Amino acid sequence: MFRNILKKGRKLAGLGGLVAALTVAAPAIAQDKEPIVFGGSIPLSGVFAFAGIHIHAGLTDYTDWINSQGGINGHPVEYVMEDTAYEVDRSVAAFKKISGSSSPATYYGDSTGFMKAIASELNSMGTTLMSGASFATALTDNEQYPYQFIPGPNYSQMFGIILEYIASQGEGDDMPTVAFVYSDTEFGKDPIENGKARAAELGIEVVEEIVTKPGSVDVSAEVLKLRRVRPDYVVFHGYVLSPINEFMVQMRQMGLDTQFMGTFWSSDKLIIDKMGADADGYMGVMPYNYYDSEESGPMLDALRAQAEKSDPEAGYRPTGYMQGWFNAMVWTEVIKRTLDAGKELTADNMAAALASIEDWDTGGIIGIPVTVKDMSFPVGRIWRVNAEKGRYEPVSDWIHLD
Amino acid sequence: MDWLFFGEISLAGLAMGGLYALIALGFVMIYKATRVINFAIGEIMMFAAYLFLAFAGGMELSAWIALPLAVIGGSILGGVIEKTMIRPMLGESPISVVMVTIGIASILVGLVEFIWTADPQLLPSFLPREPVFIGPLYLAPKIAYGFLIGSALLIIYLLYFRFSRGGVALRATASDQAAAYSMGINVRRVFNLAWVFGSLAASLAGVLVAATGGLSPQFGIIGLSVLVVVIVGGLDSILGALVAGVFIGWLETVAGAYLGGEYRMPATFVVLAVILVIRPYGLFGTHEIERV
Repeated sequence: MFRNILKKGRKLAGLGGLVAALTVAAPAIAQDKEPIVFGGSIPLSGVFAFAGIHIHAGLTDYTDWINSQGGINGHPVEYVMEDTAYEVDRSVAAFKKISGSSSPATYYGDSTGFMKAIASELNSMGTTLMSGASFATALTDNEQYPYQFIPGPNYSQMFGIILEYIASQGEGDDMPTVAFVYSDTEFGKDPIENGKARAAELGIEVVEEIVTKPGSVDVSAEVLKLRRVRPDYVVFHGYVLSPINEFMVQMRQMGLDTQFMGTFWSSDKLIIDKMGADADGYMGVMPYNYYDSEESGPMLDALRAQAEKSDPEAGYRPTGYMQGWFNAMVWTEVIKRTLDAGKELTADNMAAALASIEDWDTGGIIGIPVTVKDMSFPVGRIWRVNAEKGRYEPVSDWIHLD
Repeated sequence: MDWLFFGEISLAGLAMGGLYALIALGFVMIYKATRVINFAIGEIMMFAAYLFLAFAGGMELSAWIALPLAVIGGSILGGVIEKTMIRPMLGESPISVVMVTIGIASILVGLVEFIWTADPQLLPSFLPREPVFIGPLYLAPKIAYGFLIGSALLIIYLLYFRFSRGGVALRATASDQAAAYSMGINVRRVFNLAWVFGSLAASLAGVLVAATGGLSPQFGIIGLSVLVVVIVGGLDSILGALVAGVFIGWLETVAGAYLGGEYRMPATFVVLAVILVIRPYGLFGTHEIERV
């Protein structure tokens, strides 16, 4: 028995020695250069969890990848997040906690509501640049939101890209007609007025506007309204899946040959997975290449390799993953530009670095060089569902709005 | 005025109202027998719809086997909830019991997210897809067949309450618990039966509504919309649940079509406010007079 105790004691002593050695060694590694913190209010639960889980995976994988590349100018990167359940008050609490403990240089906001709510605090802090899940048009107002940007086109710009595509399908004065179908939410209503104005400029008639509750609703009456105006295109906004499927199925049952289009959050592969053959022909505007697209590039290849490495079982990665990765990519670029210019990592300096991005090669994440305009990346491409192949295929060139 | 359009819209609204009536029936049955306002009714609907998804989608059973299995699963869930969580609350203040049902709703959402993830889902298509025409009027097939299935259950229920021993016991307990107890009716069993039958109606409605509009962990919110129906109809009136269900379904649809989708809910709440002012106990509810 005594021998056993002695044996265990020796093992513990050995372990203790190892821990002590690591404790002494660790600061030597960490003190090399100060870590740069990416913060995040991430909706891992609640109504937006379907995307939040993948956004989190994208941010995590990018952080691992950039650290494997030596960090940002030698600074290791730390990703610090809290689950918010997609509730503004919890997002605000998470921001305060992470800001207080980790001083993040950049931060992922999970909703337009949160990003608007936190704006005044963010402005007064002057230490952090923020982007996130929101593509809200309002956030591109530089006066009110000088330290927030959109990691792609804002919703109005997405409508602009969609309408340019629709206009390109018309011949001479014979322009296609369009109907807007959107959810009765701030998110849903965001691009409608600008969309109508842009349609008028392009000579496209908006023949109907339909507002619905988001999510699971019966839309039979709305479909009957659309049957009367027979639009060539229906553009959805403010949904993820339902009721897009019901509009498409019911309108096709009525024999209408209307084409259906949607914006970023309505253009995930989820639509194909859940709708199957009914999704065929659906089109979406997407600023990033899809994970399973035939496109390639050094960063897109790195993304795929990192995704495969972190979870070999996961297979296809949704648009939320691409969006999370791209957010972190932009943060890195902005921080790098700021540090290279010998400036401090303040919100003002980082916002200026962001505004300086011109003809930036994203390594295949976006198919053409991009230029920041009004704190957004106004670029996208129209992709169409090929249900048989189970994926989106490009049907337009990349469209960069001026 | 385009009467054909009005007719089609009305038909769609009435058919949707039939499903509201079915959910409201589940709500009222539980309240009538046990005096519990069940705020988890929407989540029981949701759970049954996810069960259908598991049976028909995951296990690839025929939809016509999956549907009864899911509905029975939902009703068993109702019975278990009553026995394990509501019965111990007997005699506690009504607000405590309501809080328990809200807690159950939250647990069910968490459970569904844990098992089926938070992704939005579509149920496997199981209703005929050919357009339905009633004369010149078009009706979406899912709504039409959903209405027919829901109506069949409603008729079975009404016959059961009228003629079976269980139905009579349920009605007797609803009328006067003490008298029913003294006449030898097993009131505790009746309570459980009310939860089982109420959850069964809600479960069927859950699968039919989810087949039309899709499914997500937030699906249960529809249960709260039905609260308007049962308050308008009268919390303890089965006839009220049926009439108000159909009426609110019609009103919502017509308001949405003519005023815009954003006016669907306000229109129903205006009706709710008016009814509460004129008849605070609902159109067909019991006017209880408390004497001090």
